[in-house]
Amino acid sequence: MNESERLIKRLPNDIGGLPGPTIIQTDQPLEPWEKRCHALADVLDFRKILNTEEKRCGVEALGSEIISHLSYYERWIVAFSNILLRKQILTPTEIALKMAAVEARWTAGA
Amino acid sequence: MANREHDHPHDTEAHGGSEIPGYYDMLETAITELLIEKGLIEAQEIRRQIEVLDSRTPALGGKVVARAWVDAEFRARLLANGRAACEEFGVTFYDETLLIVLENTATVHNLIVCTLCSCYPRPVLGLPPDWYKASPYRARAVSEPRKVLAEFGTIIPDDVEIRVSDSTAAVRFLVLPRRPSGTEHYTEEQLAALVTRDAMIGVIPVSTPTMRASQ
Repeated sequence: MNESERLIKRLPNDIGGLPGPTIIQTDQPLEPWEKRCHALADVLDFRKILNTEEKRCGVEALGSEIISHLSYYERWIVAFSNILLRKQILTPTEIALKMAAVEARWTAGA
Repeated sequence: MANREHDHPHDTEAHGGSEIPGYYDMLETAITELLIEKGLIEAQEIRRQIEVLDSRTPALGGKVVARAWVDAEFRARLLANGRAACEEFGVTFYDETLLIVLENTATVHNLIVCTLCSCYPRPVLGLPPDWYKASPYRARAVSEPRKVLAEFGTIIPDDVEIRVSDSTAAVRFLVLPRRPSGTEHYTEEQLAALVTRDAMIGVIPVSTPTMRASQ
């Protein structure tokens, strides 16, 4: 089976049963932004804006290349962003302008 | 598959530090602020949910397990409808998910996993450990559970069946571990204190301090 066949036959999340290395029993506490990201996910679910299965699919839709480079909550927030754009709840311009404003706040305060 | 779940840099402080937050940290802030400005969510809800996340710990699951050990009627209700029985304890569930409680016996040992992502009985255990979300456990738990358990120091005799249950967004599992021998005189509260997160995932048995000292 060549590399492209492997990508087609197994979506990025579908790893059950594959061989793997020894389990590393690490357990890090969440960063403050990671905890906010988790709370955001729960609130979006309560508000019927984005449910758990949409979140999982949104992460999978990032594709194996992006998934391999992002940490757990980095995948979540990028997936939320993509889903909110697709649902036309947010626009790319709104996110870009708000990101610039957030950064400017920090630069001004630093 | 490359995996950065454990080695990504944590080089920013969200609040209080002078460093500018990382890209994803700022993306989270931007999205949340936009949703608040549009009136789709409220800042209070995020703050409140962070409190809820902080309040959910494996101690909740430990109380449920200890009650099941001392109260046969509760055990029967727990095995019949995990969610309803946990709600008797004031455990709040956050969506429509089912909770199925899997009882370990002399002949069956249960193990839970989420091969697709990280579904977990969060209402009773809180957030999952990193290794539960990382690919080695997700990949291997279903195909070589005995080897996986051995990595946690758990050796299951060959004549004991191992059942691995794969969680989904809608169906979560919790393992009801076996009550350790020598605990007949324990109070319910003392029993609850023995029950650990990993025992309710199924990667280790519940043990007493005496048992651990003799290992």
